[in-house]
Amino acid sequence: MCRILAYLGEPLSVEHLLFDTDNSLVRQSYSPRMMNTFLNLAGFGLKAWDPTSLRPEDPFTYCATTQPSFDRNLRFISAKLASSCLVAHVRGVTYSGEAVVADTNLHPFHFAGTRVVLAHNGHLRQFARMRYSLLDHVRPELAQRIEGTTDSEWIYALVLSQLDDPYGLPEANELADATANALRILRKVRAAHGIDTSSPVNLCVSTGRAVVATRVSFDYGWYPPDDDMLETDLPFVSLWYAIGGEYTERDGHWQMTAGEPPRSVIIASEPLTADFSTWLEVPEYSMLTAELTPAGIAFDTRDLDV
Amino acid sequence: MSDRETVDFLGSVPLLEGREEADIVELARVMRRRTVQEGELLWRQGDDAREMVFVVEGVLSASLQLPGNRSVVIGSAGPGEAVGEIALLDGGGTTMSVRATETTTVLALGRMDFAALLAPLDPPAFALRRRLASLLSSRHRSQLRHLALSLGGDVDPPAEDAARTFSELEYCGPPDGTYLKRMATFHDFDSLALWGFLTSGRYARCPAGRTLVAEGAPSTACYLTINGAVEKVLARGDRRIRVGLAGPGKAFGYESLIDGQPSPVTAVTRERALMLVLPREPFEQLFNGEDAVSRVFLDVILRDLVAALRQALRPHARLAASL
Repeated sequence: MCRILAYLGEPLSVEHLLFDTDNSLVRQSYSPRMMNTFLNLAGFGLKAWDPTSLRPEDPFTYCATTQPSFDRNLRFISAKLASSCLVAHVRGVTYSGEAVVADTNLHPFHFAGTRVVLAHNGHLRQFARMRYSLLDHVRPELAQRIEGTTDSEWIYALVLSQLDDPYGLPEANELADATANALRILRKVRAAHGIDTSSPVNLCVSTGRAVVATRVSFDYGWYPPDDDMLETDLPFVSLWYAIGGEYTERDGHWQMTAGEPPRSVIIASEPLTADFSTWLEVPEYSMLTAELTPAGIAFDTRDLDV
Repeated sequence: MSDRETVDFLGSVPLLEGREEADIVELARVMRRRTVQEGELLWRQGDDAREMVFVVEGVLSASLQLPGNRSVVIGSAGPGEAVGEIALLDGGGTTMSVRATETTTVLALGRMDFAALLAPLDPPAFALRRRLASLLSSRHRSQLRHLALSLGGDVDPPAEDAARTFSELEYCGPPDGTYLKRMATFHDFDSLALWGFLTSGRYARCPAGRTLVAEGAPSTACYLTINGAVEKVLARGDRRIRVGLAGPGKAFGYESLIDGQPSPVTAVTRERALMLVLPREPFEQLFNGEDAVSRVFLDVILRDLVAALRQALRPHARLAASL
C-alpha cells in the first residue's frame, strides 16, 4: 500500500529522514507500524532539492527496485545530501504475479521538463476499467509520456493537466486547486463506470518550493467481496505531520523543535519515530499545503470535499 | 493507610460501586499504594500501559504533548477518580502524560489484574463494564464540550433532520457474514455470541450527507457502521470541528442512550453507509443484559468509546498547537 514522506524547510540531511529515526521511511518498508502486516517491498524512489547543487530548481533523483535497507548506494548518497525539500516513497504491491515491480512504476513520478513531482499512497480499485476514460482529461502530450502500469502515474498526468502551465512552477494554491480538480475528475469517471469501492488517494505533490498532501478516499468503507486488501484497507489510510523549527536529535530522541513562524514541516504516512506524541494526525478528507516563504513555512490544513 | 482504610476507600470509588466486600478485600490485596511527589511524572504519553491508578488523596493532571516540546493540560483527577484505564482497555500507548500537581497518594492496579476484573461473565464484571462505559462516555462529553467552546456560538438545531433521516432509513437484509468476520472489530469474539449481537437490530442503508444524530437532541438509536463512513462533527454556524470518523466496525449515537442526556455530537454520513441500527429498546436490553451476547455488545461499545476518546484528542492537539 506504500508509504510516503515529504519534507520542506531548512536544509536537512536526507540520511536523518530516511534512515536515522526509529520508524524511518526505510524501516517502514519492512516494518510499518500502521498498516497491519502489509510490507512495502516493491521499490524506493526519492526526489530531493538541494539549494547548493547545480541547477537547484531540479531535484536530485534516486530510485531502485531493490529493498532500500540493503541499498548501500542510497545510504552513501543520503549521507552527503542536505535537502530543503524532499519527497520519498516506498512502494507496496499485492503479493501476486499480477503486480509489476519495475523502474517505470516507482514514485515520485516526474516527467522531464516539468517542475512538479507526485507520490501516491493508496490505490484505485478497478482502475483498468476507467483508465482510458481519463484520456479525456489528460493533455495528449502528457498522456504519451506515461510509461508504467500504475494508477499513480495517471493521477500524476491528470494533476499536471489541471495546471495552466504543466511545465511552469505553480504556487501552493494553484497546485492545491489542480490536485483537488484531479480528484473531482477521478470521482466523476469512477461514477461513470459504476466503480464504487474503497480507493484511498493519499497524494504528495511538490515543486521543491511547495508541498500539497491529501488524505482522502473514494467510497471509503465499501469493499468488493473476498477482497485481498480488506484488512489493510479497513482503517482510513494514515497521514501525519510535524511542524516547527528544525527536526533534530536531542538526548537520543528525534523531534521537531518549537518554531514560530515554522521553518520546517515533515508530512509522512506514519510518524518517523515510535513515540508519535509530538506528531499531529491529518484529519480524514483533508488537504495540507506548505510553501517556503521568506518568513518561513506558510502552512494550511483544509477540508477536502471532492 | 491500613488495609481496612484501603478497603473502605475502594468501596467508595464510583467505578467499583456495588461490588461485594469480599471482592473489594481481594482487590485491595493486589493493589499497590504509592505516594507521588508534586511534579513527579507517573507516565509519559505514548508509554506502554502497565497500570491504572485510583487517586486516594491529592490531584493528578493529564497533559497532551505538542510539537516543539510543548504540552497542554487536558484534565485533572482528584480523590476517588481513576486514571489510565484507556490504554489498558485497548492495549495502545498511554494517551497523555500524567503527573502529580501536589503530593498525591494513589492505588495502582496492574494490567493483568485489571483484565482479570473484566474477564468473567458474572454480575460484578458486567457492572464494571457498564460503569466504564458511563465513565468513558462522560469523559468523551467533557472532551467535546471543551472543543465546542473553542468554536463559540450556539448549537445548530438540526434535530428535525435527524428524525427525518431515521424515519426514511431504507432497511435491508444483513451483509455477507464472511465480510463481517474479517472486520477487526469482531475478530476476537465467539461466533455464536457475535451472531447474536449482529442479529439484535436491523440493517439500513443511508445516502451520503444525511444527519443521523443531532448534537443537543436525544439520539433515536445506536448505529454501528458496517460499510461506508459517518463523520462526527461539532458545528456552530459555518464553523465546525471534525472530531471523529465512524468507518466499518465503529459505532455512534450511543452516548445519549447510555446517560439519557442529549447527544454531544452530530453524526452525518460522509459516504453512503450500511449500518446496524439498534433503537433504544434493543440497546437497553443489550446494555443491561448479562449473557455472552451482551458481553460482545459491551466490549464493542467500550472499544468504540476508547477509540472515540483517542480520536477526539487529535483536534485537541491541533487546536492547542495552533495557539
